[in-house]
Amino acid sequence: MSSSLESFVGHQVSVITADGRVINGVMKGFDQAINLILDESHERVYSSGGGVEEVILGLYIIRGDNVAIIGEVDEELDKSLDMNGIKAEPLNSVIH
Amino acid sequence: MLPLSLLRTAVNHPMLVELKNGETYNGHLVSCDNWMNINMREVICTSRDGDRFWRMPECYVRGSTIKYLRIPDEIIDMVKEDNMMKHKGRVDGKVRGGGRGRGGPARGAFGRGGGPGGRGGRGGGGGRRPDQGKGR
Repeated sequence: MSSSLESFVGHQVSVITADGRVINGVMKGFDQAINLILDESHERVYSSGGGVEEVILGLYIIRGDNVAIIGEVDEELDKSLDMNGIKAEPLNSVIH
Repeated sequence: MLPLSLLRTAVNHPMLVELKNGETYNGHLVSCDNWMNINMREVICTSRDGDRFWRMPECYVRGSTIKYLRIPDEIIDMVKEDNMMKHKGRVDGKVRGGGRGRGGPARGAFGRGGGPGGRGGRGGGGGRRPDQGKGR
């Protein structure tokens, strides 16, 4: 049995957490509970006023309960983004 | 690499834990288990809004209440080291036919002797630290 998360290991991923944060980093590992290891991680803080603030977080273990979405990042595309031009409402947290 | 292996490697290092209720706990990791329950020492608890603080000598956190853990960057390299030592131990064991587990070569260097039948500490990360070895 192999989970599709295996293919993300060693790659840049973007994680959206249950509390509505967006955290990017290199996925170093995971387990059956979807606990994640993210290396060189940083949070992207979106605001409706415009501009995305990047907060350096470092090495993180995110508990699986708190993970909503994991996506692999297209690094070429990501580098070409103009962060200052992005306007977005911050996400709400998951409603249980 | 498994998240809980990384966490085990972080024992005796400083870390930050944020709980699902938004409180954060800063302190040194004393121990953890397979459910991510953790023991910490010299803890500073910060309220959800970040303007109230409590100092406590120790605390125990139930794993299921954790949102995330932030640990020092260098810990990730120590896990790799750990795995390599485990592997080395296994190879040595085969060659010599003794099932002494990992860390065979290192033990001599730290002066613990480790006579026949002496087992290297498994898991927990405690057994491989030279400073702890000397202390005993």
